This record gives sequence, C-alpha cells and structure tokens, in this order.
Amino acid sequence: MKREESAGPASRQRVQAGPGRLDGTPAVVLEARALTKRFGGVNALRDVSFDLRAGEIHALCGENGAGKSTLIKTLSGLHPHGSYDGEIRIDGREVRFRSLADADRAGLAVIYQELALVGEMTVAENIFLGSERCHGPWIDWARTHRDAAALLARFNISINPGTRVSELGVGQQQLVEIVKALGKDARILILDEPTAALAGAEVEILLRILRDLRAQGVAIIYISHKLSEVMALADRITILRDGASVVTLAAAETDVPTLIRHMVGRKIEDLFPRDRPHAPGEELLRVHRLTAAPTPQAAPQLHDVSFSVRAGEVLGIGGLMGAGRSELLLHLFGAWGHRRAGAVTLLGRPHPAPTPRESIRRGLVMVTDDRKRYGLHLDLPIGANLSLSSLGRVTSAGFLDPAAEELVNQRFFDALRVKAPGLDAPVGGLSGGNQQKVVLGKALMTEPRVIFLDEPTRGIDVGAKLEVYQLINELSAQGKAVVLVSSELPELMGMSDRIVMLHEGAVGGVFEHAEFDQERLLAAAMTPAADGKILHS
Amino acid sequence: MTPTAPATSGPAPAGTAIYSSPLRTLTMPAMLVAIWVLFALLSPQFLSARNLSMLMIELSATATLAVGVLLVLLPGHTDLSVGAGAGLTGGIASVLVFQHGWPAPAALALSFVCGVVLWSLMGLFIVKNRIQAFIITLSGMLAFKGAFWLVIRSATVPVARGGESNLYAAITTYYLPGWAGWVLVAGIVALLAALTWRGRRRRAAVGAAREPVEIAVLRLVVAAQALALVVLVCGQYRGLPLAFVILCVVATIVHILTRHTPFGRHLYAIGGNEEAALVSGIPVQRVVVTAFTLLGGIVAVAGFMSTAYAGASTTTVGDLMELDAIAACVIGGTSLKGGRGSVLGALFGALIMASLLNGMTLMAVAPELKMIVRGVVLALAVWMDVRLGSAR
Repeated sequence: MKREESAGPASRQRVQAGPGRLDGTPAVVLEARALTKRFGGVNALRDVSFDLRAGEIHALCGENGAGKSTLIKTLSGLHPHGSYDGEIRIDGREVRFRSLADADRAGLAVIYQELALVGEMTVAENIFLGSERCHGPWIDWARTHRDAAALLARFNISINPGTRVSELGVGQQQLVEIVKALGKDARILILDEPTAALAGAEVEILLRILRDLRAQGVAIIYISHKLSEVMALADRITILRDGASVVTLAAAETDVPTLIRHMVGRKIEDLFPRDRPHAPGEELLRVHRLTAAPTPQAAPQLHDVSFSVRAGEVLGIGGLMGAGRSELLLHLFGAWGHRRAGAVTLLGRPHPAPTPRESIRRGLVMVTDDRKRYGLHLDLPIGANLSLSSLGRVTSAGFLDPAAEELVNQRFFDALRVKAPGLDAPVGGLSGGNQQKVVLGKALMTEPRVIFLDEPTRGIDVGAKLEVYQLINELSAQGKAVVLVSSELPELMGMSDRIVMLHEGAVGGVFEHAEFDQERLLAAAMTPAADGKILHS
Repeated sequence: MTPTAPATSGPAPAGTAIYSSPLRTLTMPAMLVAIWVLFALLSPQFLSARNLSMLMIELSATATLAVGVLLVLLPGHTDLSVGAGAGLTGGIASVLVFQHGWPAPAALALSFVCGVVLWSLMGLFIVKNRIQAFIITLSGMLAFKGAFWLVIRSATVPVARGGESNLYAAITTYYLPGWAGWVLVAGIVALLAALTWRGRRRRAAVGAAREPVEIAVLRLVVAAQALALVVLVCGQYRGLPLAFVILCVVATIVHILTRHTPFGRHLYAIGGNEEAALVSGIPVQRVVVTAFTLLGGIVAVAGFMSTAYAGASTTTVGDLMELDAIAACVIGGTSLKGGRGSVLGALFGALIMASLLNGMTLMAVAPELKMIVRGVVLALAVWMDVRLGSAR
C-alpha cells in the first residue's frame, strides 16, 4: 500500500512557514535523546531517540506495551525531569519539565483519548479553560466568545462556540479539544489515538485540520493503530518495540506489511509452558452470531461473533484495544450490555440474559482485567476476599461456619502460594501478582467449568506470570475450558490452543495452533475480514 | 491440595479483622468513661441506680433504631425517613388501640407489618430505579410525617385507654422482676459458653488453629461480669427494664445477621465495592432490599418504644430520631460510605449520645443548648469518620 498523494514529502517541506535552516529542510522542533525510563524492574523505554520537525506529521506506532504512552508522558512532563535518563530538547535547547504546566508553557500540547472537557460548559468556555480571557479580575465573556469563534473559523470548524460541550458528538468534542490546545499557541501537538472514537466524516475533518496545521508549521506526533490512516497522513513513521525505537521510516518509502513486520519482529522465547491437550473434550461453551450493545438504544459493539470452547482447551482472544474483547467476555458473564441477536449455550443449556450470580452458579466464572476495581475488596482481608463468591459452601443452617471458611481459604491460599503473612492480612497491601492470585483463588473456589481470564498477567512480575501460566495448564488438564484475553501476542500465542482475533467488535480471524503467526494475527486484528468472511487459512 | 493446619496464622477466627479498627476500639470506651466521669462530678445523681435505669430506657429507642439503620449504612445507603416512620408506626398502633379498641398485641403486630411493607417498597424503589437513597428517604421523611399527622389527626393519642395498662404501655414501664434478670443472665452466659465450646470443638475437628483456652474463658468471664453488673444496678431501682431487653434482643439478632451469615458478609462487600460485589456473584439488589425490609421492622419497634415512652402519639414523636440514630452509628465506627461498622459500635455510640443528653437534662441545660450540643456532636462524629477513613 503506497501513498496516493502526488506531491512527495520533499516538495511539501519547501513551503514550510516555520523556522527553517538555510538549506530549506525544516528545523528540528523537538528532540529526545537516549530516553530511558524504568518502572521498578521494568524498562518501559530503552535508549529511545526521536526527533520531530516543524511542519511534519510524525506517526508513532507499536504494539500495546511497546512504550508509546510512556514516551509521550515523558515528553509532555507527566514524568518529570529526574525520573528518566536522557535529554529532551526543544528548538535545540535542553528542557527539563517538572510538570505538565512546564510543557504547556513550552508550547507542547497533548490530546488524549479521554477528553478533558467540562460537559456542562460551552465550547468557548472550554477552549479557554485555564487560560481565561480576562479584563482585570473579571472574565471578559465577549472576548472569550469572539476569540473562540475566530479560532474555530481559522480551521474551518463549524461549531457554534455557545454550544454546550455535552451536546456535541465525540468527534466534535475532540475537535474542541484540539482547538483548545491551539488556543494556547501550541507548536507541538501530540495526539493519542485521535480517531479511535471517530467515524467517517469526523475522521476526514480531523485529518484535514491536521494537514492545515502541518501547512502552518505545527509539529505533530500522531499515535495510531490504524496503519492505513497513518500511511495516508504521516510524513515519517517511528516504530517502537519493547521500549526501544526500532526504525524511523519515511511514509513514502514504505508500506503497511513492512510496518507490521517491524512492529512485531521478535523471537518468541519459550516463556510459555503450555501443554497441549491431546484430545479436547466436549463443547462447554458455544457462541453463535452474538450481537450486543452497551445499552438498549446504543449501536452494537459486538457484531455477529461466533466461536466455541471445549473442555481442556485454552481459547485465546486477541485484538486491539477497543476491539471488544473484554466486552465480549463481560457480556457472556452477564456484567455488560444487552444482547441484540445470537444464541449462547453454556454446558449444553441456553444462557440468554444472565447475571454474574447465575453464571457462577452454572459453572462460568470471570476474572476481570481491573482487579482493583472489579476483582477485590481492598479493605477486606485476604480470607474474606477468597470466599466471597462461595459463601454458600461454608454455610450450614444459614450461618457462616468460620472453621470451614478458614479451612477452605487456607487451602487456596497455600495452593496458589500467596505471599502474605496470613489470611487476615488486608489485600490492599499485597503486590500485584499476589492480588491477582487472590482474585484467581476467589474464582476457582466457585468450582467453575469455564473460566474467563481477561489480561490475567497484566501488571505482575515474571515469576508470578509463570505461576499463572502453570495454573492455566492445571485447569485445562482438569478438563476445564479457559478463555484467555491478552494484549500481548506472544502470551496469547504461547498459551492458547486456538486464537480468535477480534476487529472492531467482529471476528477478524480464527486460527488453529498450527496457523499461529504474529504477522497474520496482527493483520487480522488491524484489518476487517475480507468481504465479511472469516479469515481462515 | 491437602488441608494443613496453618502454623503462622493468628488464632482469631477468619473475618474479625473487618469489623473492628484498633483506633476505634480504644476511643469509644474512653469517651464514654470520660463523659460519665464528667457528669458524675457535675451532678451526683448521674450515677444513681434510678438515673442509670432511666438512661437505659431513654437509650433503648434510639439504640434500636441505630442498629436498624446500620443495616442500610453498611451497604453504602442511608435512610432519613426512619424518625418519621417511627412516629407513623407508633401512631398507627396508638390509634388502633385508643380509638378502635384493638388489643395491644394485635395493634402492634399490624403496625409492625405496615413498617415492613413500607420499607420493602422503599427499598425496591431505590434499587430498581437506581436513585440515591438519600433523596428517596428524604421524600419518605416528609411523606411519612404527613401520613403520621393524618393518622393521629394531629391530636394526642394515648397508647392505652383510660387508666388501664396494656402491652404497648408496658414496653417502657415494665420491669423484669429481680429473679428474671438473673435467670436471663445465667441463660445468656450458658449459651455463650456452649457456643464457644462448640466452636472450639469444630475448629479442632477440622484442624484449624484455636485461640488459647485462657483467652476464651477470660472473654466469657468479662461478659458475665458486665451482664451481672447491669442486672445488679437495675435491681437496685426496679429491675431490668423491658425496653432494654427488647433492645438487646434486636441488637443480638442484627449482630448475628451481620457477622455470622452470608447476608451480613454481602452487606459489607456491597458497601466496600459494589461493582466488585456484583462481579463476585453477590445478588446486590436482593441484599439491599432485604436490608431495607429488616429496617422497616426495626423502625416499627423503635416507634413503639418512643411512643410508649412519651405515653402517647403526639406530632413530635420521632422528630430528628434519624439523626440521632445515624450519629450513633458514625460515632461507633460506621462509615457513611459503607463497608465498615458494627452493632457493638452503634450501641456504644447510642450510649454516648444518650449519656450526653441525660447528663445535660440533669444539669437543667436549656433545650436550645441541648440541640446545639447534639448538632456539634454529630458534626464531630462525621469529622472523625472522615479523618479515620482517610487514615485507613
């Protein structure tokens, strides 16, 4: 896939309005040299060097966990100077941001996916939030409105500055956010997945504005998973992998398959001790053409999804963020969304509109991807957390049996090797890995037959990860069915027997173990299934 | 996965950690002792058997209500209508007895059922519509108050006809004869001993660790002494007040529910983290509605006690009782956000509030000042809750 524009990057660079060198190439506005950032023992960024020129759109690509967010946070001052190694230079001079405000003052603005707008205020108020147009101690509303209108007009955005932000669509809100950044005379704009929440026409508007900004000399860093978009928009593309910058390519000189290859190209070491079952057993869960939406009125986020899982099997579910992996599992479990179409059969019986309680009763349990929010009661001790889903098993004649409860809690505590002083220790004080073990223990105590694991090794150390993998092996050896959602392709490929890749809520591809191939998996996640047919091999 | 007796875990039974906070367990008895010492110095009759007996009766209605409100505070809700509800249920019973000649037990029973039904409906409304309990119960407070005034036609309705005495009036006027008090104490101590012994046998049978025998015996002895002291003091005046016995029964039931049943554990879990509770398979809606339903019954009992104490239903019975009840819970360690609290704490809190009020009355403090003190104590209690909450 090559670029379609007739004018190449070289010719466009010559009409830059921004600061330029005598030879006509634009100046480097932002430069990062040898950035290294560690969190505990984990290297989020390793010796990353990056430069951004005025009047350029520079795309940043990489898998989940490659270091894109960390790089942005470091550049924008969220990680203050001193918490990282290396240098950041703006216009050639070193800068040491101690806070976001410092970066703001230097003309650097970041626009995240989570919009920082106040819904109850108007567009004009939001644009100048924090940099109010004042007349002495009073806010000059006339000027606010006028300046907002002027800014919007400059970019040909037809939004009335008096509209309340909550009444705008997400796409328009995003534009307001960009105008807000520009209202502060940002020279460097960083956009994190700006089109993730946009559709059709809004995407076009955004891209047009970005091209206009580029023409005016603004330097733009553009993070996106949508490689086709990146190819159409960016001048240069830098690919991060495992915290290091792998390569920087001119968009005109590359194509999507090359990008994917650079994003992925590592050897899978044998970190995943998966024992393949010899004969998977009966079908325990079957999903047939499932379509579901978050609320009865909203548009569906899951489309026509079909798959099945058998006893003793580990089914991996992958896809980009926002593809609907968690939503799929949560919906089947009964904690999300309304079913629009499709049928689900659990252990041979229909599973129409369950609640989590019913699912657990029927042998389906879920470990969510946010243990602090949905998995644990941080103020309760470990024992109380472990037994919470299974109190019926330690109750006799309506009363809790403290001896029985302690016994079964201790059994799981020991079996999972939770490192803590005892059952009475508060769960909030445990490390991530041990907290995850408690959540797993709670799920396993319900004696399930189908187990959903959503990012079970997120945020835990290597040793604990291995223990989780061994646990998955044990579970499938016991004849249970495991559905594993993971953002890390190597983990998914290493631990699954089959993989379903989701793309924007639909199945992008189903892969048997023999067909596991990183590039093809990633391709299935990033491009819609051709002609609506499932990509098999 | 074979069971092994844990070598290092402490002897306390599983789950006790959630019910007490070390800081709170010291401050409450300390505060109580301080208040009692203060009032004893300022007004010698404070510690007289008669006054302490009156204190116990004054305490009973508010403490009963506090224990009931605890049931909805734990899962993170609140109820501002309990005072008005107490007045209403008391009023229904009074009107039935005084104006329609019903026998007291029947009138009390019907009014009790009304309370249960009203509160279960309110609970259903709150969970099904996902509206904050604060607003619904605030509306309830106004509606029930109006309904109450309607029922008694804003008149004074005595709890008994003529000069006769009935069950209703007896609630706050009956005293158990001396021997009955001792029998009760002996029975309770025997029951506690039997339960403790059975618990120890069970733990030994499954191989779990047990606390040392000395500690268990010590706890029983302290409990027996406390109970004996209460009966002794009451015996010096007229005996154990029936109202106090009713309070103890209600408190015991709620204590057992919150600490020894899955329902109780669910209450704490929902209050601590409702989303996680749902994902863990707890029937959140069902638990909350049940809590409100139970509260309805307890509101009725508290209403009977208040009305009997006043001798009649008047338009002011139950006024501001909800604030006293919530304040008692908060002073006793209940968090307004849910997930933390205990029956014992609520009782302590109620005792502290009642002692303050009783002491102030003995010192002939003006009613205006008493009101101010109540307000200040409530503010202090909430402030303490926030401070200790953030220290967790």
